Amino acid sequence: MPSLKCIVVTPEETALETEAEFVALPLFDGEIGIFPNHSPMIGRLGFGEMRIVSGGQTKRYYVDGGFVQVNDNEINVLTGKAVEASTLDANTAEELLAEAQKKPVTTDELLATREKLVDQARAQIRVANKPNS
Amino acid sequence: MANPRALDKRRKSVRNIRKITRTMELIATARYKQAMDRATAATAFTDRITKLVADLSSANLSIDHPLLEQRDSTENATLLVLTANRGLCGGFNGNASRAGVAQHKVLTGQYDNVSLEISGKKGIGLFKGMKSATPDKTYLEFEDKPRYEDVEVIAERLLEDYAAGKIDRFDVAYTKFISTSKQTAVIETLLPLGSLEGSDSEEETSSGESMYEFFPSAESILEEVVPTSFKVKLFKCFLDSAVSEQVARMTAMKAATENADDLISQLSMQFNRARQSRITNEIMEIIGGVEALEG
Repeated sequence: MPSLKCIVVTPEETALETEAEFVALPLFDGEIGIFPNHSPMIGRLGFGEMRIVSGGQTKRYYVDGGFVQVNDNEINVLTGKAVEASTLDANTAEELLAEAQKKPVTTDELLATREKLVDQARAQIRVANKPNS
Repeated sequence: MANPRALDKRRKSVRNIRKITRTMELIATARYKQAMDRATAATAFTDRITKLVADLSSANLSIDHPLLEQRDSTENATLLVLTANRGLCGGFNGNASRAGVAQHKVLTGQYDNVSLEISGKKGIGLFKGMKSATPDKTYLEFEDKPRYEDVEVIAERLLEDYAAGKIDRFDVAYTKFISTSKQTAVIETLLPLGSLEGSDSEEETSSGESMYEFFPSAESILEEVVPTSFKVKLFKCFLDSAVSEQVARMTAMKAATENADDLISQLSMQFNRARQSRITNEIMEIIGGVEALEG
């Protein structure tokens, strides 16, 4: 079975470039799993956990929205931020959440921004609190 | 006749200055390499976004988005000027600020309200000196390594204001890095974006159905791509400005070091002449004295 090539780029750098057997990504409405020979697709990412399985080992990352493009056994992940799950701190994420929830919601736009920030913080807490499997 | 001791003192001080400028040149060179690496690393993202847009446009999708459309309203405009926090980098800050002032004048002619934002201590100082406009917002946190997170905050705010109609046009005045020997101060209009890179490749590929599946849909992805591409563009401006600053400082310090070298050799020559003439004078006096005794 061919293996997948997974490339994660952020605006600052190419965060990761690795071979993988399986990649799980947070799409905007739920998780998507990608095995080799996946049909070509472009998807919108949400906030959440990305898992990369290579050589039987699972690596976990937090990705901060963006896009994914799958073509020819190559996965391109474009995201604003990609950090290893182990470096995430649940406490700072909790603080972010508390801060986000304090924002005013007087207009529709402000409500949308707040929702986004809350989602972002909650996803970080989820990823940070999940035990390493 | 010049005083050899005064000359020697001057030569010493020039030597000290030369040491400083030489060190600054070396530091700037190291920083320039780092900044350059960051700028190259950032192109990976831009290239992929461009490819994504090209793939999207092959899906027979008409690319239109509020951020891409020209607006008729001429009420509010925002100008962002990118300069450095530090000086001693030749014409870098001056050129960027001058371009900013000129563009500010143009914008005030066209728009009712023009708000000015400046990044960098030097730019703020220069604008204050020229008394042409007072900045509405200033940033000092961008050093030689601008972080995407920080730029994103500004970009988000601008996008919000643009969506809410508080901004109709957004310009950036910054120093574009063309090559190591050439950087020019330019003005770029980032909002409205005009066109997306990669969307013009439509002719070749639009014939068939796209091979991609879209989650959730091509339109929705486009809706996300456009703001992202704006953010990345703005980030690129910051990166370019940082690289140009280091290059400018490198060249300026190199010139200063060379100038100090010239001064040192000139002063050395004057010092040696002054010393020699003093010795000659003394010998003449002694000889004169001896002759007077003999005669």
